[in-house]
Amino acid sequence: MKKEKIGLHTFMAIPAFLLYCIFFIYPLCRGIGMSLTDWNGIGEASFVGLQNFIDFFSDKRALTDVKTTLLFALGSAPLLNLVGLGYALLMNSKFKGKSIARMFIYMPAIISPLIMGYIWYLLLQPGRGFIYYALEDIGKGYLFGNWLGSYWSSMIVLVLVNVWQYAGMTMVIYLAGLQSIPEELYESAKIDGATGIASFRYITLPLLVPAIRINVVTNIIGSLSVFDIVMSLTGGGPGYQTETLSIYIMRMCYGNKTGYSTAVAMIMFLIILIPVLISLRLTKTKEELS
Amino acid sequence: MRKLRNSIRYLLISLICLMCLIPFIVLIILSLNTPQHSLEDGSVFIPDFYFANFYEGWIKSNIGNAMINSGFITLFALILIVILGAMAGYSISRFHYKHNRIIFAILLSCMMIPGIINTVPLYSLMIKLKAINTLWGMAIVCATLAIPQAVFVFTGFIKGIPIEIEEAAIIDGCSRFKVFWEIIFPLLKPSISAIIILNGFGIWNNYSQAVFFLQNSKKHNVPQALSVYFQQFAGAKWNLMAATALIAIVPVMIAFLLLQRKLMEGLTAGAIKG
Repeated sequence: MKKEKIGLHTFMAIPAFLLYCIFFIYPLCRGIGMSLTDWNGIGEASFVGLQNFIDFFSDKRALTDVKTTLLFALGSAPLLNLVGLGYALLMNSKFKGKSIARMFIYMPAIISPLIMGYIWYLLLQPGRGFIYYALEDIGKGYLFGNWLGSYWSSMIVLVLVNVWQYAGMTMVIYLAGLQSIPEELYESAKIDGATGIASFRYITLPLLVPAIRINVVTNIIGSLSVFDIVMSLTGGGPGYQTETLSIYIMRMCYGNKTGYSTAVAMIMFLIILIPVLISLRLTKTKEELS
Repeated sequence: MRKLRNSIRYLLISLICLMCLIPFIVLIILSLNTPQHSLEDGSVFIPDFYFANFYEGWIKSNIGNAMINSGFITLFALILIVILGAMAGYSISRFHYKHNRIIFAILLSCMMIPGIINTVPLYSLMIKLKAINTLWGMAIVCATLAIPQAVFVFTGFIKGIPIEIEEAAIIDGCSRFKVFWEIIFPLLKPSISAIIILNGFGIWNNYSQAVFFLQNSKKHNVPQALSVYFQQFAGAKWNLMAATALIAIVPVMIAFLLLQRKLMEGLTAGAIKG
């Protein structure tokens, strides 16, 4: 075989890679170094070893943030997938107005989550939210509570608003998955006497694995790094209770604890990486395994 | 039986649609109230049709400037993503050399890392590069975060283009670069629109990076301008908040309505390839 000379054109991936190295990989590596220092963002940094990581585990606020972030993801990611799949199953047939319905359901997802948080704040503001007055109008004002006032109810509100906003996005991907399943499979299952549940379990679900994989992974990453919606809806309150890790990183960086904030980022990296790798592994298709 | 099931389906879908629309409807109602309007008397559902809110919100909130900024950032970032991503995708899918395989593997494995992880060290790099509080700096940050996915989608797409198309051109004496620009790039339209749609809204709406890299109020993008404007009200002046939020949503809505059909196709294409 003649050995081909490697031409310049084979290096066309270099510009993209260079950009990525400078603005992503290099800072990532520097972050690992910075997490081992007590740098305050301006002055000299001195090496403190693993001190930041040790501090992290006795930092009450940080540990609450870990709990909040995990709880938010634990609520958001499964619910988003269930609701999205439910919507998709409901929409997966030909009917009049389908594309309009799909458009409406998807619409919240294109709005900035920060603005979305503000809109929901106008609706839910304690004692004077729009929903309160609407309920008052029909004489049911007592149903409205101070939902942003306590930890658990704020968490539920945050999860629900997030699910409400992004269910459409999850739905669209599930719909694409459902539409790629050949109709004949269901027909032959019907002839064999399979019930609706059985054909869902043995046809739909296995063939939906690629869509499930995309949705689960994006939702895990998205909900564990949630930022905007918490900023505008609760601002991390009451107190620091609903503050998430990404907000904490930002606040620590502004609070001149730059070294520490990068250490928190590294811990957050692991918190995201583990569930992502597990779900990638669980949704591996047979071909990939062999 | 079938009829009943269909009507239940219709009912459920209508309810879901309504649920998705309610906040927008409320926003419109609130934005049309006078400042003196108290929600306690009269029906909350009938606004005063007071349009001066939009004028006041527009003048006082810096939102117009923020839209220009967001627009510039989005445009510049998308151009970078599409051109660099397509070039990389072409090289990776056509020339199976070691360096291309390594680049692809690195990009793929970094695809799962969210931007917030490296934001703080990136911040100090941006200061050194004097790219802080610049629109081009922010655009580069946004483009970088989208590169792995773009390369992934373009690589998959170009693999599906028959190589014979190029071979004829090469025999005619075309250089590889010319082949890429004049033959391959125009064929990429479906995946280019997928990439633009997948990233465009997110870049326009970006807040978690903008908080770090665009602190100067002249360089604020839309979410930032809005959040700064809202903070001064402490939850009061709903009419102005709602009107300004509505102004901020309008460009995104128009883009969405125009691109709606493409968007669904794009998401689907991106999803299946991804």
